Amino acid sequence: MSIVHKDTPSTKWYLPGILSGMGLTIKKLFYNLFHRKKMPTLNYPEEKYEYSPRFKGNHVLTVKKDGSLRCTACMLCATNCPADCITIVAAEHEDPTVEKYPIHYEIDILRCVFCGFCEEACPVDAIRMGPEWQTPGLADDNFHYDIQRLAYRPQLKGGILSRVDDEERHQFGL
Amino acid sequence: MLKCKINGVEVEVKEGTTIIEAFKIAGQKIAHYCWHPGLSVAGVCRLCMVEIKGQPRLQIACNTPVQDGMEITNQSEQVKETVRWGLDFHLINHPLDCPICDQAGECGLQDQYMEFGLYTPEMAEPKVKKHKVVDLGSKIVLDTERCILCSRCVRFTAEVTKTYELGIFNRGDRSEIGTFENKPLENNYALNTVDICPVGALTSKDFRFRQRVWYLQERESICTGCSTGCNIKIYFNEEGLFRIRPVYNEKVNGYWMCDEGRNIYKFVNKENRLLKAKKGRKGEWLEMEGGAAAKDVAHHFKSLDKERIALVVTGQFSNEEYEALFQFYKKNVGNDFVYHWINNKESFEDFDGLLLRGDRNPNTKGLLQKLEDYRYEQTWAHLEENLKAGKIETLIVAGPENPLWFPDLKEKVQQWGIQLSHLIWLSSAKVQAVDEVECLTWQIPLKTFFEKDGTYVNYQGLEQKSHRIATIVPGALSLSEAAHLMAGEEYKVDMAPILKGPKKNYYVHRRGYL
Repeated sequence: MSIVHKDTPSTKWYLPGILSGMGLTIKKLFYNLFHRKKMPTLNYPEEKYEYSPRFKGNHVLTVKKDGSLRCTACMLCATNCPADCITIVAAEHEDPTVEKYPIHYEIDILRCVFCGFCEEACPVDAIRMGPEWQTPGLADDNFHYDIQRLAYRPQLKGGILSRVDDEERHQFGL
Repeated sequence: MLKCKINGVEVEVKEGTTIIEAFKIAGQKIAHYCWHPGLSVAGVCRLCMVEIKGQPRLQIACNTPVQDGMEITNQSEQVKETVRWGLDFHLINHPLDCPICDQAGECGLQDQYMEFGLYTPEMAEPKVKKHKVVDLGSKIVLDTERCILCSRCVRFTAEVTKTYELGIFNRGDRSEIGTFENKPLENNYALNTVDICPVGALTSKDFRFRQRVWYLQERESICTGCSTGCNIKIYFNEEGLFRIRPVYNEKVNGYWMCDEGRNIYKFVNKENRLLKAKKGRKGEWLEMEGGAAAKDVAHHFKSLDKERIALVVTGQFSNEEYEALFQFYKKNVGNDFVYHWINNKESFEDFDGLLLRGDRNPNTKGLLQKLEDYRYEQTWAHLEENLKAGKIETLIVAGPENPLWFPDLKEKVQQWGIQLSHLIWLSSAKVQAVDEVECLTWQIPLKTFFEKDGTYVNYQGLEQKSHRIATIVPGALSLSEAAHLMAGEEYKVDMAPILKGPKKNYYVHRRGYL
């Protein structure tokens, strides 16, 4: 390692620099003490910032009126995913109007780049990206989110209703 | 020979050729559903409209024979307009359930809509609802809503299999495909109707919902299900093999293949394979790599009594492998105790009239030729005699690739386990009975037809080459590699690339180019 020694007046007389810096710090400290509302920082994690509803955070799988998954396992989200993080296993449903549904839906959240292409590709509004973004975990936590977590986690209060309803579509003869 | 001009391209065709065939010869695109080269002409979809110079009205290409000097086009505005309206009519009652339809990705409607349609629908009435998810027996599911009534499947059961199960019922926009009194569609060629269905009306239960078709890669090969040797296309990705479809070969199988042949992919997949070589006997197995086990056999070979060794071969391997195996046997053993294991003697000469033969081995002809070349003339009765007399101590068995078609397998192996002192079992299949033998056994995993190059001779004596596609069991050897290693030679085992499919998000990287 090479250390450059500059022998100039500004390096020799360092004390004025330090003092001016400390002055700025103290000025800001007293300003923030008396104008607490204007302070730009947050006391995280007690205070949390609320993003707009359009924010692309963790995924939500929407549900139908009866509470079952809206997803039809068409795998367009998995096809459209640039990070290749969605795994779906499809199966035959007993109800012939449903026909196909996912028995396994998994998002590897560590691979996900939160681009929102899955949401864009979905033909039935079955996957959305929610406002939730703080999901820390320890090293041995499960970052492969399954159906239980994506659709029925407690924060969603029983699931979010999809906008596309098959029964209505059948009634209109679509 | 007749000369005609198709979209400006001049072609010469035989007398009696229809215009649509001339289009295929000229390499021109033409919209069609109901026409299939292997079936009769129905002329029901009215999509293959062409304009012939000198004729005021458009004609359907599938039912109009070419005449000398015809100038035919399907590029004119009039034809394009007609095809667009034809498609619009086809799609009036078609449900838009592509997301859950198995055919999506290889669907005639999707392709032709992108190619010839691209209109805004003009239909304001609600769609006619028909039966969905109709169970047609153990192989096929029918969705009558998706059906466009091209009648290909009906003609197939009437003309090819001659079983007449399917028919079109009701009239007008309520007509639908079905079987009489909901009888199941159970003939051995039923899955061909799934292949020829241009939409997702008929779907195979075996493949249904297991993969989207664009996740699969396809490669051509030879079916090893019976001695017909149909040309096939195998669909696979990194998770394994998923389905098999026929490929046109005029000399062998035409456009079709049987349903039993479609199941051979299951014996290539890992769950039915012998994954590791093993040495030992019941309850005390030592696992090792295939090559190591073959070398271990070579090491032990010196101490064995050469006069008490015998070889059993099945008709499931390629010519090259038989050659290598017999060379090995001639050099290292030298006796003529070589036996042909015929799996189903009673039904060996059977033939169902279409494709499936009673001889469920792909290369019996090749094996018989090789046995003759090497003058191995002993029969199975000799083996049983010798075993009873205690003349044979060690048996090398080039066992079946497909154990299902060897009904006597368990019984034979159990018998050998008692009569022999050493068994060298070479097979690609996982066989429970071999794990329970009492004599000292080497189990060496072999490659399947999917993983090796080889020549197969079918019942006609036609040689067909099958090429290796990918590796599924990394430690497996081909029979010739095993023979070289068992002879104690230094031999480099060549491995095909590991099984890999297209990337699931392949199309994302080609965004904007499609």
